[in-house]
Amino acid sequence: MADLLVALAKLLLFPGFAFLFACAMLFAWIDRLVIARLQGRVGPPWFQPLADWIKLMAKEDILPTGTNGWVCAALPVLSLAAVLTASIYIPVGGWIAHAFEGDLIVVLFLLSLPPLAYFLGGWATGGVYSVIGGNRSLLQYFSYEVPFLMALCSPAILSGSWSIAEIAARQSETIWGALVQPLGFILALVGLIGKLKRAPFDIPKAKSEIVAGPLTEFSGRKLALWHLSIEVKTVVGIFLLVNAFLGGSGVSGLLPAPITFAIKSLLVLLILSVASVLYARLRIDQLANLGWRVLAPLALLQIAATVWIGAT
Amino acid sequence: MNIPRILELLQEVLPAARLEVQTVPIDEHFISLPPDNLHAAVRALLERSDVYHLSTITGQDLDGQIELLYHFWQGGGLTLRTGLPRDRARIETITDLIPGASFYEREIAEMLGVTFLGHPDPQPLFLPEDWEGDPPLRREFALPEEREEGE
Amino acid sequence: MSTRITIPIGPQHPLLKEPLSFMITVEGERVVDSALRLGYVHRGIERLCQTKTYVQNLHLFERVCGICSHVHTTAYCQGVEALLGLEVPLRGLYLRTLLCELERVHSHLLWLGVLGENIGFQTIFMYAWRDREIALDIMEELSGGRVTHSGNVIGGVRIDVGDAQFSSIVSRLNDLEQRVEKLLGVIQHERTLRVRTQGIGYLSPEEIRRYCVVGPVARASGVDVDLRRDCKYAAYGRLHVNVALAHEGDVWARTLVRAREAIESLRLCRQLLVGLPEGPTRVRAPRRVPPGEVVSRAEAPRGELLYYIRSDGSDKPARVKIRTPTLTSLITVHDQLEGVETADVSVVLSGIDLCIACVDR
Repeated sequence: MADLLVALAKLLLFPGFAFLFACAMLFAWIDRLVIARLQGRVGPPWFQPLADWIKLMAKEDILPTGTNGWVCAALPVLSLAAVLTASIYIPVGGWIAHAFEGDLIVVLFLLSLPPLAYFLGGWATGGVYSVIGGNRSLLQYFSYEVPFLMALCSPAILSGSWSIAEIAARQSETIWGALVQPLGFILALVGLIGKLKRAPFDIPKAKSEIVAGPLTEFSGRKLALWHLSIEVKTVVGIFLLVNAFLGGSGVSGLLPAPITFAIKSLLVLLILSVASVLYARLRIDQLANLGWRVLAPLALLQIAATVWIGAT
Repeated sequence: MNIPRILELLQEVLPAARLEVQTVPIDEHFISLPPDNLHAAVRALLERSDVYHLSTITGQDLDGQIELLYHFWQGGGLTLRTGLPRDRARIETITDLIPGASFYEREIAEMLGVTFLGHPDPQPLFLPEDWEGDPPLRREFALPEEREEGE
Repeated sequence: MSTRITIPIGPQHPLLKEPLSFMITVEGERVVDSALRLGYVHRGIERLCQTKTYVQNLHLFERVCGICSHVHTTAYCQGVEALLGLEVPLRGLYLRTLLCELERVHSHLLWLGVLGENIGFQTIFMYAWRDREIALDIMEELSGGRVTHSGNVIGGVRIDVGDAQFSSIVSRLNDLEQRVEKLLGVIQHERTLRVRTQGIGYLSPEEIRRYCVVGPVARASGVDVDLRRDCKYAAYGRLHVNVALAHEGDVWARTLVRAREAIESLRLCRQLLVGLPEGPTRVRAPRRVPPGEVVSRAEAPRGELLYYIRSDGSDKPARVKIRTPTLTSLITVHDQLEGVETADVSVVLSGIDLCIACVDR
């Protein structure tokens, strides 16, 4: 009984849903603040993402006639559920809800469900902008997912384990993955930008071309859940990268584990925010070009290098 | 812009017409032509002089006729003036010579009820499709406040 | 995928600042056809102005467009002054030209921001519009209005510059010039921006001539026409205008031309302020205008603006015809959009600097 309660606490509070919700709001605020300051603006107050979310939850929820209400309600829930489930296996500041050998693969699989739900959301609502956005999101998925997966395999190969907690532990004992495999780290960051559909890879929801892409027809609570799943995915993605490349939360003992983990996460967030300010949005064919002609070969190179280092 | 040379050129192309140049501010020269000669005059300008830029075509409802002004510019202004009868306002299009005239002719067609023969896309440009009533720039058309004053 | 989808761009669309309707037919990610529908902001100004006096029409024509309001009244006042045989004092002409050039700067910076926003480069939008505030503040100091200045009156200008304002305005112009130079540097060197705008929306000089396109779009294809240098209206006869030209003919060339024009305008503003002659700024204008006609041209930020005015001896104009420059660019959009990727539609539409209120009147 006590075990059950502890498990529930881990799931619902820390490092589970409540903690992730709070992190999502915090990371969204920091992101918007950094972008605003870099653009010469002031930026929102700390409670803005939370306020926006609450307001969106209270708004009217309408769908075009002829769409399947159940499907459209299920898709954002599916997306959110997938990222929350993925978070179970990612250590946060040393704590983890559950871990097993091979959970990296499970996490990567779970993180590839939201793009599918996103695409289906566009097709289910069926407007012109939604369908085109859905098509683009699928094209984009094929462009960044392969380099991303390959880049995340490199630390696993290096550490000889397919469990995220193990990878993080090994790296904190020896040396950070980002220093040994800088190429892999960069590719993982680029892949994460694509996965999160942040600028310059926000092609499926290009506001000036297709209004809001697949989410154009969503509103109210469904849209709030979509936004929440995107924000939680940001957090989960950053935590994953910190564990896979920056040694998780272990360090030489200078600072307590949660603080180092927080600092590393914020560092990755900072890189993502700065990247979204620096460039114009690419076109989908330019992204596909980039993904297959540049990123995928580089990822292969990284894996090859890792295997070769491991062999020698 | 060499106005005497252009006048010579047009007189050569249209021997039957009596052409005169009227100087108008600001740096503009008006030449009046019969409507049937307009297409030939524009062709002569394009083919045998350095004038090619049509600024716009103005239409106005003068007493007795619908007057069209074709404003050209090449270092100075040249306007070809022609008048159409109010009840049979038709003239040949010049979009075969100057494709850029397309929108200007469409606007005059809907605002003044002029038919441009041979226009590739004679749709209304600014007025809504369900516009009922006189062409707005004609004398007959009264604005709502004018109608009230009249009553 | 060879099914054809029709994407409605407008009348309401995040891309457009004013209502316009483009129905774009795409096959996969390529545009195969487009249909244009105008008239959503048609206010019947040409008909309306016949019921108002010449002075009332000043306020009406200023509101044809929000961005290029001053050049509209410049062309109008020039025309009416020619009909009245008035000669505007030199100081008035200089101040009129000063506002024209400041307006050009603010219009080009506005456009640069809109282009940035439409290609997903929000940073440029934020920077350009922040720098634009400097120009707007100067115009507000001079005239009391940021975008609608009511600076022109028939017979001259209503505004004036005092000695106290002079040095502060000049130093702010210098500051703005440095900022625009930085933006020009970004345009020239930022790879993602070049990749999105180069080669898109190409117009050859031949097509420019056939469609009678004017303004920066024409100059970006190498057609060297600028009414400030060629018509020498207002105070331009006393200034040397360096016309910005490019030859690539694509959206990137248009961006370069506009950025260079903005820098040139700032230089002209400084010249105008430094060389400002003493004297009155206006002359009195009679209410009734003797019968006559006039064709008045000015170089708006988007190109050649034409006003044809006919007077019949009363205090109301008999006919005013306005031809705004954006109309000439809209004719070319159908050709520019053929074979273009869907994502580039926004780039093409941004490249021609739409001002729909001007077009519809």
